[in-house]
Amino acid sequence: MLKIGKLAALVDVSIDTLRYYEREGLIEPVDRSESGYRVYDKESARRIHFIKQAQHCGFTLAEIRELLVLRGREKACCGDVRSRAIEKKLQIEHKIRVMRAMSKALDQLIVECADEAQPVKECTIIAALERATVLMPAPGHES
Amino acid sequence: MKVELFYSPGCSQCAVVREDLKATAERTVAGIEWRELNVLEDLDYAVELGVLSLPAIAVDGELIFSSLPTPHQLRDALIRRSTTRN
Repeated sequence: MLKIGKLAALVDVSIDTLRYYEREGLIEPVDRSESGYRVYDKESARRIHFIKQAQHCGFTLAEIRELLVLRGREKACCGDVRSRAIEKKLQIEHKIRVMRAMSKALDQLIVECADEAQPVKECTIIAALERATVLMPAPGHES
Repeated sequence: MKVELFYSPGCSQCAVVREDLKATAERTVAGIEWRELNVLEDLDYAVELGVLSLPAIAVDGELIFSSLPTPHQLRDALIRRSTTRN
């Protein structure tokens, strides 16, 4: 059995993070010690490793909560988890596309602002941002 | 008119409902083109249309439903679109 400090050290996260996970319903102590401290077991540590790994893959805490429910549900199958992974991939691919478009828009601004000696009042990047002309390509029209 | 249903393989929810939806679409609009796309094989196209959750339905290249509609909802959407087109 582990107190919160030991658990935090074991899984390499802060005590505040563990408390946050607890408030979010992702982990819970298995018991309280006689002096009222929260006590955790090795399953808590495994659960936190799982949460960290899922976060690295881009899952939000709400999504991780669902994954944890699936993980503990006897009737759930791998396909349920796979569907969520596919949806996460779609969301990540969408973000990549948006970021690429933003990068392209910045390229254009950088090229247009070739005169670095210009006073900032005449800076074409500032002017373009004020005019809100940095348009994102519409879906399906990314060149 | 072209209806595209994006699904992930192994989605039991999709398998049950999509025959119903297909039949509804075919009854609602004559000569409708119905396509079922495995999102893993058409990922770029799905992302291009803005599909973020599955199953999803696009009509004429526009995402209309980001979860499976009821046959009634699909029928209404198709009628609205065909009225707009005419």
